[in-house]
Amino acid sequence: MDIINNLVKNLGDGIAAGIYGALGQGLAADILIMVIAAIAVFAVASGGFAGLTYAERKIVARIQDRVGPNQAGPYGILQPIADAVKLFTKEDTTPAEADFWVYNLAPIIVAVFATLTFTVVPFAPGVVGTNLNIGAFYIIAIGSASTIAILMAGWGSNNKYSLLGAFRTVAQLVGYEVPMLLNMLPVIMLTGSMSLVDIIERQAGWNGSWGLPFIVILPLSGLAFLISGIAEAGRSPFDLLEAESEIVAGFHVEYSGMKFGLIMMGEYMNALGVAVMFSVLFLGGYAGPILPPYLWLVLKAFGVFLVLMWLRGTLPRVRIDQLLNMNWKFFVPLSVVNLILVMILGKVFVSDPALFKANGGILIQPLAQALIMGASSFVLLMIALAIVTRRVRKDRMAEARILLQRRETNQQIAASVH
Amino acid sequence: MTVAQIVFILLTIVGLGAAFLVVTTRNLFHAALYLIASFFAVSGFYVLLEAGFFAAVQFLVYIGAISILFIFATMLTRTVRGMVPRNSQWQAALFIAVVLFVAMVVMFSPISFSLPTRSDRTFGGVDWQFAEVLGKPGVLRSVPDSSILDFGRALSDLNQYGIALLLSGVLLLIGMIGAIWVARERKPREILAERARMAAEEASEAARQSVGTKIPDVVVAHDSHH
Repeated sequence: MDIINNLVKNLGDGIAAGIYGALGQGLAADILIMVIAAIAVFAVASGGFAGLTYAERKIVARIQDRVGPNQAGPYGILQPIADAVKLFTKEDTTPAEADFWVYNLAPIIVAVFATLTFTVVPFAPGVVGTNLNIGAFYIIAIGSASTIAILMAGWGSNNKYSLLGAFRTVAQLVGYEVPMLLNMLPVIMLTGSMSLVDIIERQAGWNGSWGLPFIVILPLSGLAFLISGIAEAGRSPFDLLEAESEIVAGFHVEYSGMKFGLIMMGEYMNALGVAVMFSVLFLGGYAGPILPPYLWLVLKAFGVFLVLMWLRGTLPRVRIDQLLNMNWKFFVPLSVVNLILVMILGKVFVSDPALFKANGGILIQPLAQALIMGASSFVLLMIALAIVTRRVRKDRMAEARILLQRRETNQQIAASVH
Repeated sequence: MTVAQIVFILLTIVGLGAAFLVVTTRNLFHAALYLIASFFAVSGFYVLLEAGFFAAVQFLVYIGAISILFIFATMLTRTVRGMVPRNSQWQAALFIAVVLFVAMVVMFSPISFSLPTRSDRTFGGVDWQFAEVLGKPGVLRSVPDSSILDFGRALSDLNQYGIALLLSGVLLLIGMIGAIWVARERKPREILAERARMAAEEASEAARQSVGTKIPDVVVAHDSHH
């Protein structure tokens, strides 16, 4: 059992030992090992990309009562390979009036920064690109670079649809970064660390205490994080950056061939990154019973991605004003209030013995903490929804009154004419 | 030369080169992109200085927020490509820049320019460090680090930086309230009153101008042609 559980770690250690044996301890061997590790992380991410394009097309097709890809191989399973071949053989174009360097650099930056997210994700105990002590913060910081790449693509293409897509991007991505960060903070506070490994270990339970995934303890944060993460990845129903029916394809109208492929890859990796981050922060990452750890993370991430596909297959696109109102007038205030609530409750009721020893408070079992936190989240959400419902109804009634008045005026005019 | 020194030299070249291009390039959008490259190099310096957290903050705040604001403002200006940015205050700007540069050199001169070559460098727990990673077996492992904890304690301690943190929070809040006030929804009556006031001010300004030095129309036209 131990062999299976530590399969990936032992494989990595074995490769490292082999290289040291062949080249001796030194700079060359170290650089070779780092390159191999980087390629391994990239292979996991891009393998996930290839598999998810197929899975998404098939599952969304099933949701919408279609068949999906079914020609390449049995059940169309070779479709990603066919897509890749097609992308590589397409003509690589640059518009005559485009800004050459900006236009051609943008897809590379999108793909690179989307992949960089995976360098801090722990796939199994001991299997992590680098265990940064600021892992969660690093991911937010890296994620902000994709906004610049999309701006470069939109402006460099020298196309009005691209530019419109880029404008929408700024409003959306910059806005939703705020609730994403605010909902990551409760997790960091309850863990007492920004390292993703520590966050997972905390959920798996440590120092004799048993843990719970944070989605049970912080349901409201989890939900808000997932929604703002979907908006941050620019996926349906928040796919305003590339709304096909409004601005053709948004910022990547002018891209063809593998440059388009790179942008597509970057977007999928951003979405996959959100799914992985949600499973790490709120679902306990690789922690789980019976199955080996690396399988657990894959299962959880795929489960989250399934929710993303489900939303894509069923929900219509939101309007830009709805999107921004929802962010600034609903998510941000709610997240701030939730944060303050978690701050107070997390200080009083502590379930982690290590934090208890450091800060004091009342030591309780994780289940009791989950009950207290979950109940307070639920009450908060209900209050927020009640306020929003009342406000929206008031607006609607006012609108209806104006319409009614206008109709009456029109009728009066019509009557006076006759 | 150590690996860290090579990295330092590369970062310096990128940072200074990009900063030079920011002020010399004629294209505003390109200038903003070069500024990002320069910020990126500064972020790299933070990594070299064992401050991983500040590298991430530099990235998030300067690249992720401020630069995007610059680019956005640039894109909203009408003819970005044909425009030739000209600064009418370049003499004053040059003077202040030289003074600040001299002050900076004087301030930092006692410190030697060579990088510390401690063997136990952890670079703020950042594992992508050559000096630490190279020469030790196994890349896949974690580095326990407490610098970020110390930083957090210093910020929350009222005897150290707690007051400064609170004050900066209040400052940001004031800024936010000001922004909301400027962008608030105004009633049509208020807008009309404001326009009337501005028109009156313009009129009085024009009256004052005509009373004072008279500028011939020909010269004004010539100036605007430039």
